[in-house]
Amino acid sequence: MHALLLNGATRDGGYLDSVERHLEAALTGAGWETDRVVLRRSKMAACRGCFGCWIATPGICVIDDDAREVARLMVKSDLLVGLTPVVFGGYSADFKKALDRSIGNILPFFIRQAGEVVHARRYPYEWRLAGIGLQERADPDEADLFRRLVARNARNFQCSRAGATVLVETDPWGKAAAELTRLLEEMGVGV
Amino acid sequence: MSRPRSALLLVGSPRGARSTSASLGGYLLERLAGQGVTASARFVEDLPSAATQDHGLPAAARAADLLIASFPLYVDALPAPVTRAMEAIAAGRLQDRATGGRRDFVAMVNCGFPEAQQAEVALAICRRFAAAAGFCWLGGLAMGLGGTLGGRPLGQGDGRFGHVEEGLDLAAAALARGEAVPERAVRLLARPIVPPARFVAMGNRYWSAKAAARGIQDRLRDRPYQR
Repeated sequence: MHALLLNGATRDGGYLDSVERHLEAALTGAGWETDRVVLRRSKMAACRGCFGCWIATPGICVIDDDAREVARLMVKSDLLVGLTPVVFGGYSADFKKALDRSIGNILPFFIRQAGEVVHARRYPYEWRLAGIGLQERADPDEADLFRRLVARNARNFQCSRAGATVLVETDPWGKAAAELTRLLEEMGVGV
Repeated sequence: MSRPRSALLLVGSPRGARSTSASLGGYLLERLAGQGVTASARFVEDLPSAATQDHGLPAAARAADLLIASFPLYVDALPAPVTRAMEAIAAGRLQDRATGGRRDFVAMVNCGFPEAQQAEVALAICRRFAAAAGFCWLGGLAMGLGGTLGGRPLGQGDGRFGHVEEGLDLAAAALARGEAVPERAVRLLARPIVPPARFVAMGNRYWSAKAAARGIQDRLRDRPYQR
């Protein structure tokens, strides 16, 4: 099994970098292979909204930068773990940019699912999504919005499992570690 | 209620002036101008964090009595550069909060799906931005099947979008009075021009035709990153 850790933290050496190292060790210990991408160090333009990844070079973004490799790693992975500061209840711009640039991994075609129109899957693989948000101070409403966003992404990406947690920088590390263990177990990672 | 004297439209689509976001925002801006509001527009660019702060956009946003963000729904939320711009606006706003009077914010989302409620999380994020940046939240509008407008200007007599124009007229009248967008405006914009079941077939034909025009219809389902 393979996991991709996508780190959308805005600064080096912060809390999310510790979370990333903890997760990598836990996943490795559980027998998973991992790839890690620190998005703030990546060269990645924003999506141009050209739909070239659907109708010019199907499955591959027309912009040749690091987003292509991130999209490839997403397909390679059974589990995507997104790490991001919680920004207005959503993702950091760096993390969102990677997601925006990954739409070539789905098809332009539409299907109806659970009462809503979504895009059909390009790849047949089972895919799990775990979102880990970080707040400077506890804000339950913002945390709830973050979880709703992850759930909404999981619905549109048709993930087989999805979950989210929001950590608070001031919480003791033991509490965070327990929460990460719970999230990995929810994703089917035996830790 | 405080009537805005100036309004700034932020167009958050990378397609810029050719985008549906610009069409929706531009129509609203025209209606506000017709009611005596000084209206202007800027396009959100893909800039690094520091450059966004220095670009002048945050200061312009803070200077307007009414800030309007119009953007496409990307992966259930705001396009990344819009998030970046909002962070810069909020950061600056916190610095000059003591000197500012009331300023309002409204968001418009071009939702590519028939169900405008798919933009509900994006609008909730916008509401959080408004609170963080010190704006008064006057509501959010999401257009279902915004792609059907295709960046064409509104107000050209295309009856298929009459309900969208009516909704924006209602929204502009309320915003010009410093009031929140009315529920009827929200409902009018949310109404897709074709029912979801019919849209699926239409949409799929559209993409097939687009690919056929490029001679790649057999490659649309390629799997370049197949394991």
